[in-house]
Amino acid sequence: MTEEKMQVKPLNKKEQRHRFWSFFWRSYAIQASWNYEGQMNMGFLYGIAPTIDRLYPDAETDPEQMAKKKEAYKRHLALYNCTPQTSAFVLGLSSSMEEEYAKNPNEFNPESINAVKTSLMGPLSGVGDSFFQGTVRVLAFGLGLNFAKQGSILGPIIAMIISIIPSFLVTYYGGKFGYTAGNRFLKQLTAAGVMDRAMHLITIVGLMVIGSMIASMIGITTPIHMGKTFKLQSTLDTIFPEMIPLAVTFFMYWLLKKKVNTSWIMLLCIVGGIVLSVLGIFA
Amino acid sequence: MLVKAILIGLIGVFGNMDSRLLGRSNFEQPLVMSCLVGIVLGDLQKGLVVGVALELIFLGVVNIGAAAPPDMVLGSVIATAFAILSHTTAQMALTIALPVAIFGQMIGIVLRMFMATFSHMADKDIDAGKFKKARRYHIVWGPILYALMYFVPIFLAVYFGTGIVKSIVDVIPKWLTDGLNVASKVLPAFGFALLMQTMLSKKTVVYLLIGFFITAYGKLSVTAVAIFAVLMVLVMNEVLPKKPNSVASELADDDLEEL
Repeated sequence: MTEEKMQVKPLNKKEQRHRFWSFFWRSYAIQASWNYEGQMNMGFLYGIAPTIDRLYPDAETDPEQMAKKKEAYKRHLALYNCTPQTSAFVLGLSSSMEEEYAKNPNEFNPESINAVKTSLMGPLSGVGDSFFQGTVRVLAFGLGLNFAKQGSILGPIIAMIISIIPSFLVTYYGGKFGYTAGNRFLKQLTAAGVMDRAMHLITIVGLMVIGSMIASMIGITTPIHMGKTFKLQSTLDTIFPEMIPLAVTFFMYWLLKKKVNTSWIMLLCIVGGIVLSVLGIFA
Repeated sequence: MLVKAILIGLIGVFGNMDSRLLGRSNFEQPLVMSCLVGIVLGDLQKGLVVGVALELIFLGVVNIGAAAPPDMVLGSVIATAFAILSHTTAQMALTIALPVAIFGQMIGIVLRMFMATFSHMADKDIDAGKFKKARRYHIVWGPILYALMYFVPIFLAVYFGTGIVKSIVDVIPKWLTDGLNVASKVLPAFGFALLMQTMLSKKTVVYLLIGFFITAYGKLSVTAVAIFAVLMVLVMNEVLPKKPNSVASELADDDLEEL
């Protein structure tokens, strides 16, 4: 273990501040390539790229580092979706995990990084969306509307000021807190020798969250019916609800296991979706 | 008119960049958008009136998860410009805002589908060791395509008049709208499958199903499931025998191959 241990210098004060600002801006920009397959995956990769680049500085000359770097880049292309403001926390935490993995490649299971991301993104989007899209936005624009109705330009200005302050605070301090807390927590886990166990348990949380997202975020139904009495969807619902989303997800998983090219699967999703809709099978 | 059309197009681009690059800080809200259009067209009061009317409609629209709501940026920018340039009332502006917003939602879905190919291109570039190129899809090409998606329709609408927008909206067949809608539900399923690929094994598939059924039957939110999951795992931590290194190595070995 010792000979493989890589030397990763901790960040000094100035580098750290720089890093926190990069979490901030890159969380704000996390939706710049929002897409239907990975959602904010490229945004997350962009956010964590500076950390990875710093951990494997000799990738061009050292094939082992190159492999590690490629692996890390690919890891963060996995599906990700979270409120931009709360993403900074996930970005900070994942960065500290990537550093931990680079330091202890034998003790740290890198798959746990995505498990942590996945477990966090559900709850943090839930809290983040309802706070920023719900509470803050409604408060800010409710107040702004009052002024704007009287024809005052103060309306939009006040609405924006109320919107920006909490957004700024949560994003900046979220990233900072994720990074520092992650560092401390991971050190304790490694010291106690319970990393594997912790990672297994984290994976369980991640999988339960994915299961819950399959049930709540896909929502494919079938309009097939015979006359007025037989509706296929209600029959399926009596067996168990959200059956079609589960079946479609496992079908995709099966295709992936069969090593079908992912570009083909994507094309299948689009063309298949349109065809099944036209045939009246899915809605 | 050319200069005004360009400026208003840029306002629309700014409104979209709010959620692309500025963490959805609410610049995209109709009140702000209409006000900016009003300033550029020299009629702030009208801009505010239309903005208030649209804001009251769109305040209820929440962008959550993967669903694409009607596009309020495109709707409010074009509708405000229409109201000011053709000297109509705010109510008339509303009738144009909604079809435009739905048109925006449609091209938004198509663009977001197309952008999934960037993921695959980035994947190939990473294989080839071109890291800079892989990062650029996100920060350069993403915003450029999104910007075009807003600039072009707004520019055309303001320059040639809003009639052209309405006739385009009328031409799109319903089967295509519905079909794209279904496709936009299937694609996230693929995303979840990709995630499961690295985490799922024969022994752990049960946890995925637990999470699924809690939400499917109990209608509990993802947050609730996450809280239960964390608590459950804490209990498991108490119950499981404390043998380091045994659980995870087993976990890594078996895949759900026979499924």
